[in-house]
Amino acid sequence: MDTVTLTIDGRPVTVAKGKTVLQAAIEAGISVPYYCYHPGISIDGSCRVCVVKIEKMPKLQTSCSTVCTDGMVVLTRDPDVVDARAGVFEFLLINHPLDCPVCDKGGECPLQDFSYTFGPAESRMDFPRRVFDGEGVRADVDFGPTLMLNRNRCILCTRCVRFMKEIDGDAQIGIVDRGYGSEIATFQEQGVHSLMSGNLMDVCPVGAILTKDYRFKSRPWDNPGVVDTVCTLCSKGCNTSAWLKGKPEWARGSRLIRMTPRFNPEVNGYWMCDIGRFNYHWTESDRRLRRPLLRSPSTRSGQAAALEPVAWQDLQPRLRNRLQDAAAAGPVRFLVSAHAATEELFVLKQVTEALIGSDGLKSVTVAWTRSEKPQPEQTTFTVPVTDAPNVNGARDLGYDVGTGNDGTPDLRELRQAVDAGRVKALYVIDPGPDGSLGDVAWIASARRSGALPLLVVQGVLMTDLAGAADLVLPGAAYVEKDAIYTNDQGRVQAASRAIAPPGEALEDWRILVNLGRSLGVALPYETASDVRQAIAGAMPGTGYAEADRLVFTRPIPARNWLQASNPSERWKWDFLFQDLPPVKGHSVQMEGLPPQGAYIPLKPVEP
Amino acid sequence: MAYEPVLTAFVNEPQGYTLDFYLQRQRGYEGLRKALTLKPGDIIEQVKASGLRGRGGAGFPTGLKWQFVLKDTPKPKYICCNADESEPGTFKDHVLMERNPHLLIEGCAIASYAIGARVAYIYIRGEFYHVQEVLEAEIEKAYTAGYLGKNILGSGFDCDVFVHRGAGAYEAGEETALIESLEGKRAQPRIKPPFPAVAGLYQCPTAVNNVETLCNVPLIVLNGPEWFAGQGPEKNGGPKLFCVSGHVKKPGVYEASMHTTLRELIDDHAGGMIDERPLKAVIPGGSSVPLLLPDQLDIAVSFDSVQKAGSLLGSAGVIVMNDTVCMVWLAMNLLHFYRHESCGKCTPCREGTDWLFKLLGRIEAGEGQPKDLDLLFGVSSNIVGKTLCAFGDAAATPVLSTMKLFRHEYESHVREGRCTLPAPWRATMPVFAGSH
Repeated sequence: MDTVTLTIDGRPVTVAKGKTVLQAAIEAGISVPYYCYHPGISIDGSCRVCVVKIEKMPKLQTSCSTVCTDGMVVLTRDPDVVDARAGVFEFLLINHPLDCPVCDKGGECPLQDFSYTFGPAESRMDFPRRVFDGEGVRADVDFGPTLMLNRNRCILCTRCVRFMKEIDGDAQIGIVDRGYGSEIATFQEQGVHSLMSGNLMDVCPVGAILTKDYRFKSRPWDNPGVVDTVCTLCSKGCNTSAWLKGKPEWARGSRLIRMTPRFNPEVNGYWMCDIGRFNYHWTESDRRLRRPLLRSPSTRSGQAAALEPVAWQDLQPRLRNRLQDAAAAGPVRFLVSAHAATEELFVLKQVTEALIGSDGLKSVTVAWTRSEKPQPEQTTFTVPVTDAPNVNGARDLGYDVGTGNDGTPDLRELRQAVDAGRVKALYVIDPGPDGSLGDVAWIASARRSGALPLLVVQGVLMTDLAGAADLVLPGAAYVEKDAIYTNDQGRVQAASRAIAPPGEALEDWRILVNLGRSLGVALPYETASDVRQAIAGAMPGTGYAEADRLVFTRPIPARNWLQASNPSERWKWDFLFQDLPPVKGHSVQMEGLPPQGAYIPLKPVEP
Repeated sequence: MAYEPVLTAFVNEPQGYTLDFYLQRQRGYEGLRKALTLKPGDIIEQVKASGLRGRGGAGFPTGLKWQFVLKDTPKPKYICCNADESEPGTFKDHVLMERNPHLLIEGCAIASYAIGARVAYIYIRGEFYHVQEVLEAEIEKAYTAGYLGKNILGSGFDCDVFVHRGAGAYEAGEETALIESLEGKRAQPRIKPPFPAVAGLYQCPTAVNNVETLCNVPLIVLNGPEWFAGQGPEKNGGPKLFCVSGHVKKPGVYEASMHTTLRELIDDHAGGMIDERPLKAVIPGGSSVPLLLPDQLDIAVSFDSVQKAGSLLGSAGVIVMNDTVCMVWLAMNLLHFYRHESCGKCTPCREGTDWLFKLLGRIEAGEGQPKDLDLLFGVSSNIVGKTLCAFGDAAATPVLSTMKLFRHEYESHVREGRCTLPAPWRATMPVFAGSH
C-alpha cells in the first residue's frame, strides 16, 4: 500500500495515499473538529470548522478536503487556526437555540462537545435568534413516519442531504431557500419515507433530526451500557449496538432503549435499516412468554382445557411422556424457524439423530419468510429479501433448506402429512418475531380439529400457534442470548446477550438440551460455549472453527457514561466524534456484571 | 491619440447587432475563419502572447486557463461563457450580448476550437430574458449561415452554442457554482481543487470565461497578439469596458484602454460629478472591492495599478460617490445585497452576512454602541478567508474598507445617535427617504 508521511503539530503521521488531512489527524488521535465530514458519505467542505494551517499555503485550508502529500506540514493549534475555528464556532451558535436540556442529542452532541473544546467562551450575538417553526419544542415538526425535524437546531452541514442522495439513493431531503434563510426540507413537507430513515439521526451532528422511537425516552448518561451484537431480522446480519437504559437503583434492571449500527465495512458499513433499528419492541411485549404453560389432556366433557402455568420441573416429565407416547404411535416432526441460532439447530440435530436415527434431520422442516423491501434503484444499501438470519447456518448443519438463502421454504409435505393425520406430534421452535414462520394457521386448525394429536411450541410470544399448543416452552429472543448466526455472505457472526430473558424463560439451546437429556440423549453441554466448542469441533476448517472464540460483549461497569460504552462503540465515537469530554462525578454500575475486556481510556481533553 | 473603440464601436447603430452588419462592418467571422486554419495550440499561444486577462473579476490570464484544460482525456470538453453579470455596478456584458452578439458567438466558437470543445454554453443571468431573446435569435442566424453547427466553414470542426438562463442568483457567477447551476443543481460553489479545467461541467474539463473575455478572442486572432498587447500598459493590454455609475453626469459603459486614469474616466468619459459636488470615494471594480479615495484618482485603471493602489479592478464597475454618501449606509446597503445573495453553504458567510447586516442596521439607525464597532470588525475578520469561494471576502470587504477609511463616520453615528451627513440626494429618493 502506498503511504505518505506528513507532520501534524510536529508529529510525523503516516497514512495511506489519498487520505485527507482530517482523516490523518483522526487516525493519529489529533483533535480536529468537523461537522459536514462523515466517513461514510462524500466530502462537502462547508462547515469550515476543520480548518488547519498548512505550510506553503497562503490561506487556512479545510482539512477534510485537503489530500495529504509527502512532507506536508500541518498545524492544528496555531493561533490563526485557533482563532479562525473559534470564529466559526461562534457563527454556528449564534442562531442555535441552545435548548440542550430538552434536546435528545444533549450529552452525545458533537456541537456541544466541539464547542466546549474549540469554541469561544461566550457569544457576542445580541440579536434575536432565527426561528423557523416556533420556539422551543414547538419547532419539532413531523419529518415522515419515523422522524422529527427541528430546523432551529440545524447547522446545515447537509450530511442528511448527502446521505439520502448517496446511500439511500432517493434524494428526498434538500435545502430550500438560500443563505441566511436556508432550511432542510422535503418536497411539500411530506417528510422522509425510506427504509433507511433512522440513519439520519445518526448522521445528524445536532439534535435536528431525531427518531420518533427514541425521542424523549432517555438521556445518554442514562444509557450506561452498550452491547456489540448483530441484527437478526434479515439475512444481512448488520452489526449493531444495543443500547441499554438502566440505573443501579432501578428494581427493573436495564432495558433495551435503542439499536444503532456498528461499523463493519464488509457487512453494513456505517448503516442499518429501519426494520432492525425499530422492530425490537416485540421483545418487551406483553405477549412475551414468561413461564412454561401446559394444557391438561381433554376433560371428560371433551372441552379443551386452558393453558396453565407450570414449573419447568413439572413440565419436563410430561413433555417427555407425551412425546414418547406420540413417537410410539407414529412419526414426530419438528418445524424450526430459521431465526433459531446455530447452537439451537446443532443441539436439535443431535436430539433428532438420537431419537430417530441418522436421518433424523428429515423430520425437521425449516421455515422462514421472504418479503420484497421497497428501495430506490440507486440505493447502495440493499436490504435482503430473506427475513431470517440463519438459513445458511441451517444449511451448513445439514438441514434441508431447498435452494437456501435465496429460496422459499417448502412446507407443503409437512402440511399434507399433518392434515392427513399422519403426524402424531409436532414440535415448533419459533424464537420470534411473530409471523416469521409464515402462514402456520393450518397447524393450529389441525390441532383444534384433532388431526394433530400433540403440538409443542417453544417460542417467545403468545402467538396464535402457541395458543393452540398443548405445551408451551418459553425461550429467549435474539437480544437475550449469546448465539451465532450465519448471514447471507456465509459470515458467522455473534449476537450478544444484552438483556436477560423474561421470567422463567430459558435460552433455547438449554431447553433443547433438557429435552434431549430427558429423552435419554447424552448431551455434554453445560453452557452455550460448550455447544459452540462442539460446533467448532464438528466443522473444522470452516467459518465455524472459530465459533467459540467469537466475542460476546457485555455492558461494562463504568466510571463515567462514556467508558460504559463497550470498546467498539467507544471506537466509533472516537472515530466519528472524537474527544468527548468526560462527564464529571458520574458513576454507574450495571447489574454488578464483571468487567470484560479492557476499557479504552478517554484521551485527555486538551484545552 | 484618441482611443478607437472596437468592442462597442457600433452599439448605437440600430441594426448593429445583426449578422449582416457584423459581417460588413466588423469583419465578422473572419477571426473564426482564420482560427480554423491554425492549430488549436497556436491559438492558445496567441492568446497567451496577447496577455489577455479575464474580464470577469479575477484578471487571470486567459491563455493559461485554456492551457490548463486537460488535453489527454476521453471526456468531452466544454466552454462555459459566464454571462451571469451580477456584480453591483457592473453592466458591460449586457451591452455586448445585446448589441454585439455575434462577437461573443464567434469568440465562443474560437475558444471551443482552441481547447477542443464542441459545445459552448452561455450561462446568462436570470434577469436578462430580453438579452436571451436577442442572443438566441442571432445564434440561430449563425447556424443558418454556417458559422455554428456541423462542419463549420468546411473545416470539419463542429461546434454548438447553447444559451442557458439561470434563476438570477449572484453566486451563480462564481465559476464552479455556475457549473453546478448549469448541471441543474443549486448554485453553490464546489471545493477546488479539482479546478474546472480538470473536472468542471459534468466532471469534464471545462473553461469558464467571461463574456468580454471571449469577445476579445476574435480580435486577437484577427489583429494579432501584438496589436492587442499594444492597446494598453504592459500585461494589461486590449480594449476594456468600464461601467461608470453613481454621482456622475453621464453614467454608462465606456470603452477605453487601460492607460486611462480613473480621473479621465470620471471627468472626461462620464462627464464629471453631478452638481459639481466633491467626490468622496470610488469603488473601482464592482461592490466587492475596497474603496479608493479622491487622492488616488490619477492611477491608471489597469489590473495592476488599481491593485497597487490597494483595491482591485474586478469587473471594472466604477461606482462614484459624492460627499453626500454616508459610508455606514453604503456598507449596510451592500450587506443587504450580500446577505440576500449568500448561497448558505459555508457557515461564516451564511451566518456572518446576516449578523453584519443587523449590526450595520443598528448603527445606521443610531442605536449602535461603541462595542458594535469592534464587533463589526471582528465578525468581518471571521468571514474573510474562511469560506469556500471568494463571496465571503467580497461580503466583508465593504465593511472592512469603509471602517478603515471612514471610521470617524461610524463613530459619529454611535456618538450622535444619527447620521451627521446632509444626505440631500437620498432624502429626495423615495426608496431611501425613510432610511434616515
